[in-house]
Amino acid sequence: MNELGIIHIKEIERTIKSMHEYDFSGYAMTSFKYRLERLMMKYNIQEPEHLIKKIQDEPDFFDNFLFDISIPSTEMFRDPSLWRWLREEYFTESIGKNPGKFKIWLPLCVSGGELYSLAILLSELELLEQVQIIATSISATSIDIIKTGQYDLKKIAVSEENYNRANGIKELSTYYTIDRYYAYLDTSLIKNVEFNKVNIIFDHSPQNVKLILFRNSLIYYNPSLQESILGLLHSSLSAGGHLIVGIKEINSFRDFEIVNEAESVYKKKPGR
Amino acid sequence: MKRKVYIKKSQAGEVMKYKAVIIGGSAGSFQVVTKILSALPVYFPLPMLLCFHRLKHVRSGFVEALSLKSQIPVLEPFDKEQLKPGKAYLAPANYHMYVELANRIALSTEDTVNHSRPSIDLAFITAANAYRDKLIGIILSGANKDGAFGLKKVHDNGGLTVVQDPNECEVKMMTQSALQLTKVDFVYTTNQIINLLLQLK
Repeated sequence: MNELGIIHIKEIERTIKSMHEYDFSGYAMTSFKYRLERLMMKYNIQEPEHLIKKIQDEPDFFDNFLFDISIPSTEMFRDPSLWRWLREEYFTESIGKNPGKFKIWLPLCVSGGELYSLAILLSELELLEQVQIIATSISATSIDIIKTGQYDLKKIAVSEENYNRANGIKELSTYYTIDRYYAYLDTSLIKNVEFNKVNIIFDHSPQNVKLILFRNSLIYYNPSLQESILGLLHSSLSAGGHLIVGIKEINSFRDFEIVNEAESVYKKKPGR
Repeated sequence: MKRKVYIKKSQAGEVMKYKAVIIGGSAGSFQVVTKILSALPVYFPLPMLLCFHRLKHVRSGFVEALSLKSQIPVLEPFDKEQLKPGKAYLAPANYHMYVELANRIALSTEDTVNHSRPSIDLAFITAANAYRDKLIGIILSGANKDGAFGLKKVHDNGGLTVVQDPNECEVKMMTQSALQLTKVDFVYTTNQIINLLLQLK
């Protein structure tokens, strides 16, 4: 397949922006290009012009596009030491102190790996009833798949190892069944989760959030979109609320203080 | 023995101005890259990208081990970090490492490529796209064909391609796969690779 040039990519971005409320111009070029090339291969589209035409002419195709352009989390319980810290220190300390529901937001769900990991952890801590989880996604297809619990079978083995390293108290297999093609996670874990479709800049983002889990999504933005999304996440958090990003995503940022450097856990500075 | 090192000359006869070096490897390459890093001067004139297969769940230890004998700082970059001369950038555990526009690193959690994350192919392909003919790509010992396609991209873009002499490699598969796919510029021993790097300006 031919490689996409920057001119083609910009043209694709312009087409999408003019037809839909999605502006991909703030996406980091290298990964966006790679993702577009993969998507074209999947749908057997040879030329960028055909992709543009498909976006223009087939409204149903666009949600598939949004699904395929998004990068799913690599596995469940990625970075087991973070999940161990959440289990052994963070949740027991922070949720106990708060009367009322403890609001948690996962802004960009793609495959549900992070969401189910979180739900399993909270359920084992018997805290699932005390939280309100909001899961948002740019793709309706993503939300549909997450609601069925369908999960990539080839990610199960590594997820299992992670779960054990994170001191899970059961076997991960307690939480899923498998058929030939997929694992199906236990959807009762997410029965109280509120799902919403959002655009790239998270219009109508939730407020007074205590914890935002947003790992390895900022890496797909260019520095200026990173900056504005971080500002938006900051305004969604309640004073003293926590933001967890990916291990190598952000060096440091103002308006947040570091809570756990090794696991990239930040806290909104009070009074900001 | 007389050491003779060939490097592409521009028409003016000066050492061509390369902008970056990228090295990939897996099994059997740790000693080799350690030796290379220990031989480089502190003022090494280019950024050096290092992509090695490593355990996904072990985040620490590797960069520390490489730093021990290295003259230049070795670091695991943050996303969108600016690449600077005289530093070595090691792909962090469980991330792909790309060269992004404007001489920056970009990290990614894309699917594995050749069962690997970081994938040497992806690092080399994106570096070749960014630096074109101003890149030196080097493949070391390894037990997987990852890197062969990436090195071809370096070659196709006019960059300089080097493969560690398979006779010297602890595991030959990676270098042999690279040699099968590309007519490389040099098949070098570790010492010859070091000599090449020492000539860069």
